[in-house]
Amino acid sequence: MTTKQFLSLEWKQFRRSSFFEKGLAIKILMILAALYFAGLAILGGIGVFFIFKKALPDQDPFVLINNYMIYWVLGDLALRYFMQQLPVMNIKPMLLLPLKRQSIIQFLLLKTSFSFFNILPLLFFIPMSIVLMVQGYAPLMVLIWFVSILAFSFSINFLNFIVNKDSKAFYLVIAFLATFIGLQYFDVFDITPYTGVFFYSFYDLGYTVIFPLVLVAFFFKANYRLLRKNFYVDGAVQAKKEKFKNYNLEFLNRFGTLSTFLKNDVKMITRNARPKQVLLMSFLFLFYGLIFFTQDMYREMPAVLAFAAIFVTGGFLITFGQLVPSWDSEYYKLMMSQNISYRKYLESKWLLMVIGCAVSFILSTPYIYLGWDIYVMIAAGASFNIGLNSFITLYGGALNRVPMELNQKAKAFSNTQGFNPTQLLISLPKILGPMLIFYVPYKLINFNAGIIALTLSGVLGLIFKSFFLNLIEKVYQKTKYKTLAAFSEKK
Amino acid sequence: MENIIQVKNLSKSYKSDKVLDIEALDIPKGQSFGLVGNNGAGKTTFFSLLLDLIQPTTGQVENKGVIVSLSEEWKPYTSSFIDESFLIGYLTAEEYFYFIGDLRNTSKAEVDELLAEFADFFHGEILNQKKYLRDLSKGNQKKAGIVAALIGNPEVVILDEPFANLDPTTQIRLKKIIKDLSAQKHVTVLVSSHDLMHVTEVCERVVVLDKGEIVKDIHTSEATLKELELYFER
Repeated sequence: MTTKQFLSLEWKQFRRSSFFEKGLAIKILMILAALYFAGLAILGGIGVFFIFKKALPDQDPFVLINNYMIYWVLGDLALRYFMQQLPVMNIKPMLLLPLKRQSIIQFLLLKTSFSFFNILPLLFFIPMSIVLMVQGYAPLMVLIWFVSILAFSFSINFLNFIVNKDSKAFYLVIAFLATFIGLQYFDVFDITPYTGVFFYSFYDLGYTVIFPLVLVAFFFKANYRLLRKNFYVDGAVQAKKEKFKNYNLEFLNRFGTLSTFLKNDVKMITRNARPKQVLLMSFLFLFYGLIFFTQDMYREMPAVLAFAAIFVTGGFLITFGQLVPSWDSEYYKLMMSQNISYRKYLESKWLLMVIGCAVSFILSTPYIYLGWDIYVMIAAGASFNIGLNSFITLYGGALNRVPMELNQKAKAFSNTQGFNPTQLLISLPKILGPMLIFYVPYKLINFNAGIIALTLSGVLGLIFKSFFLNLIEKVYQKTKYKTLAAFSEKK
Repeated sequence: MENIIQVKNLSKSYKSDKVLDIEALDIPKGQSFGLVGNNGAGKTTFFSLLLDLIQPTTGQVENKGVIVSLSEEWKPYTSSFIDESFLIGYLTAEEYFYFIGDLRNTSKAEVDELLAEFADFFHGEILNQKKYLRDLSKGNQKKAGIVAALIGNPEVVILDEPFANLDPTTQIRLKKIIKDLSAQKHVTVLVSSHDLMHVTEVCERVVVLDKGEIVKDIHTSEATLKELELYFER
């Protein structure tokens, strides 16, 4: 296979991906979002130098940036581990063709280089390097520094591959990182100044560029060897088989007839890649409030705080709930022909969302540290989430008919699942609703009135629970055939 | 014998393309019913209509007096295995059986009792494997799906292509299971297959579908296999 053929295959895969089969409006939105992130990276690249310069005028901003580079390396590794999809599966058809293994593996590794995660650093570090040159840093040395960083980025790319495929490597990396973080945390040994010097040396000395170049070559070679050795359908080409895990879920029996579904959902979440990702996302949502609650600017705008409060406890509820029938898409036909009533199915999903919300609320207790008013707001937000948001999200889910591959990680930023105009429309009340419910009484009476209104909205939702569930059930009934047809479509 | 499945004027079209058109078809209670036909003849479409997985363009299916597209009352006594999308990939076989048991108000002990009867059929490759269903081979997945369809004493069992992907030993065992179901437990079994030999051996009645229409409706006898072979040789 020539490089040309390979590139043409890649191009076809890109052109024919589900993204291009979306409606025009969505395409425009997606392109805008991509531009937004690209713009953010470029602006960040330009701005980072000046931010450091302004923050600490008496130090060399470039030295400071290098001190922080280690965090970029760690963050990038973590992000890639959770988000980057490995392209391994796609080469299965090529195993049978008269191609040299060597060239397939090389193409495969080359292919990982086109990942979004390799392009993003480019968007950040190119503008930054240009700024450095303009600011009077030696252009040639900046170039060497840039090459070193690029080599690091690719090293991480290949390391991630190994870590994903080889559990020994995974534990090695984890142990390494844990030691490093532990030593730092307990003030035994702080490695960051050394890494700062190390990163700076690419600029300062130049010849240390050898190190990242050797590193990238080493990881490439290691990857190559790993793949070469396991290049069989039962080796590296195969999707990872997970070890069977079992837990005692008997405590869920207290939910009576709903427990059957609850137990199943817990297994679904813990045994599949995609829902695990959602779980991680909802955990990150817990910290969302920190962005808003710690800044004085927002303290004056309680409506924005109400918005943030919703997300602190609503992470799981929203990210899980908006894909509700899709979670069961792989076996939806079974669900529809088995002895199951829609009502119970929906109620169990609702209960799961409520449990998720309650757990998030308990985990959000440290927010008390930022002030009781904030904690009260989070509590009111939780009430809204449980009483109203849960139903709005379930309703939105009914309109979402995207089949999902449970055990595949979502592709970062090319993930268009559950992203359609109706979903956007349905997310408006989720976001604007609580702000409005809070803001109007707040403006007319006072802060406490706003809190009470938000809390009451949730209680009201709970009172009308069966009404809402009936409503959603009807939508599900009405769209049953459409949903079934959509779910059985091959992607 | 009273009819348990009654099909009236049933048709299914996609745009102008008619894929199924059955004027009338009655299946008596306890009959083992075989459906044969080439690819695209409408076998799976017919089963999907029986299970209300697709909407009929015209007509209706009655299952024990219940019109399947209007009420869900048929679900408690009807069970089926159409394809792998009826399996929950992230469960082990046992977990899957117990899940189905829960849905069909069958206790763990009763499920275990049923599974014990099928120890032969499983050939030691399904239970206690500590493997998720998605990691089992196609044939073993099929075995799990078929047995799951027998949980909870259903009165109507629908199996699409149950013999495909099974090894010879299992095929023979499955034939016995299906015969026993209809002969001893008076369960109505609906089976589709590409294998004329299996169908004629197992089913009291064989219906041939071609381009969505019933072209033959035979009560099986010694001559049936020959007749079918002649028909398909055309």
